[in-house]
Amino acid sequence: MKIGAMLGDLLRSLFRRPVTERYPFVKRAPPERLRGALRYDPANCSGCMLCMKDCPANALELITIDRKAKKFVMRYHADRCTFCAQCVASCRFKCLNMSNEQYELAALTKAPFTVHYGNESDIQALLDAVAPTNSAPTAKA
Amino acid sequence: MTEQVPNKFIVPIGPQHPALKEPGHFEFSVDGEIVTDASIRLGYVHRGVERGTEDRTWVQNLYLIERICGICSHIHATAYTLGVEKLAGLSAPPRAQAIRELFCELERIHSHLLWIGVAAHEAGFDALFMYSWRDRETVMDLLEELSGNRVHYSCNVLGGVKFDISDAQRDAILRGLDFLEQRTHHYLQVVTQDAAFVRRTRGVGVMTKEQAVEYGAVGPVARASGVERDVRVDAPYLAYEQFPVQMITDTAGDLEARFAVRVRELFESYRVIRAILDKLPAGELMAKMPRKIPPGEAIVRVEAPRGELFYFIKSNGGDKPERVKVRTPSICNFGSVARLTIGHQLADAPMILAGIDPCFSCNDRAVRIKRQDHIQSWTWSDLRRYALKKYSA
Repeated sequence: MKIGAMLGDLLRSLFRRPVTERYPFVKRAPPERLRGALRYDPANCSGCMLCMKDCPANALELITIDRKAKKFVMRYHADRCTFCAQCVASCRFKCLNMSNEQYELAALTKAPFTVHYGNESDIQALLDAVAPTNSAPTAKA
Repeated sequence: MTEQVPNKFIVPIGPQHPALKEPGHFEFSVDGEIVTDASIRLGYVHRGVERGTEDRTWVQNLYLIERICGICSHIHATAYTLGVEKLAGLSAPPRAQAIRELFCELERIHSHLLWIGVAAHEAGFDALFMYSWRDRETVMDLLEELSGNRVHYSCNVLGGVKFDISDAQRDAILRGLDFLEQRTHHYLQVVTQDAAFVRRTRGVGVMTKEQAVEYGAVGPVARASGVERDVRVDAPYLAYEQFPVQMITDTAGDLEARFAVRVRELFESYRVIRAILDKLPAGELMAKMPRKIPPGEAIVRVEAPRGELFYFIKSNGGDKPERVKVRTPSICNFGSVARLTIGHQLADAPMILAGIDPCFSCNDRAVRIKRQDHIQSWTWSDLRRYALKKYSA
């Protein structure tokens, strides 16, 4: 039986720096696999919509601009995303990946959380056609 | 002369109470400082998860199921994937099974270290709480490094796992385990030798082997009373046949034994993780999974950090499950708390409660509500009607 079995730990800590990190002043490099905001590359996308069907949080909308020419725009709702990376696992053409840099997702309004990915002209055409909405996707299976 | 009234004073605790991190309601009848009767009312965090699974596809459910518990998220998802794979008549490749087991054991380490901290905090031993949680960061960082997330690792997909273990990660895990093992030796000494702490745990909340069986205790709580019950040993799943664990039991059945069992289980987890990393089977990470699951019923038992976790999954052949039933270990252990507090001081009640490592939101799918004079039973169709009405608006 001891008295003060953790006294040694406490005394040693007196002469050590705090273990807490000085975030946001000092930022640790994120791990390579960290799951941050989603990235979409339309180059190989076949428009199979599996990413949208498998998303548990309805965070993805894959909008077909021209199916024959394989033109797609991805509307990504980062505020709904649960960062589970199921869409990345579902994609057969490796169009999706999760950024390990963009993880500090905070904003004062919801607007910055709706992100469009795709060719500039396609996105512009889409935005011209319909005002961007934050409504629930209607094409949900 | 005044009439003699029975000496009964009820101390209500919760649902909102600074000592409780999650909502639950406890009523302790006390005679002076001694508890004479206790009752528990759960159900404040009922989230309708089981009902929710019926509206989502098999794949989407994986992530809903994972969110039943924030501590043992991986074991829930694993139990579910094992059930779905059983229904589909296939199993994940050996490498995927081993990686799942690795995550299970890393999760057990972080859960047990978290529990040591919480229980020490309830005892007023905040030094142990702070240091055990500091060391827990080691395993949290490892999990983040491996999976990309600290809490919901989402390492499972139906039919396998998402990530492999690289050599650099393997070395990082081994380094982390060396540090944790050394610290765990220290904690085992602290919880069994610190004079002040042992006075709060030794001989408190003693549950005999017979009582543990009678109350249906599971997991470390049952093992601390000498009940040999561990699904990893009794009915090995994943790669537990290839990488077996040894059952850790104790005979004392008091709080000290529950501490000792959990701390000694940590050593077993370290050993198994090293064994897995040493002989990680080569091969694929994923098996091809159909999107529609053939009709049938599956039952899965796995050992969560808190005890036996049970899943029942029923498919009608569609792309969504017909029924998913979850029975978590905390609900099995709660019965013992009400009985064990009787005869102890009220101040021991939080410690006895913490001793089972309760997870309130895991529990909350109760179907029998006891109000003062009547008992309201909720049948499955009642619950379904209630949920549809509530969520259709």
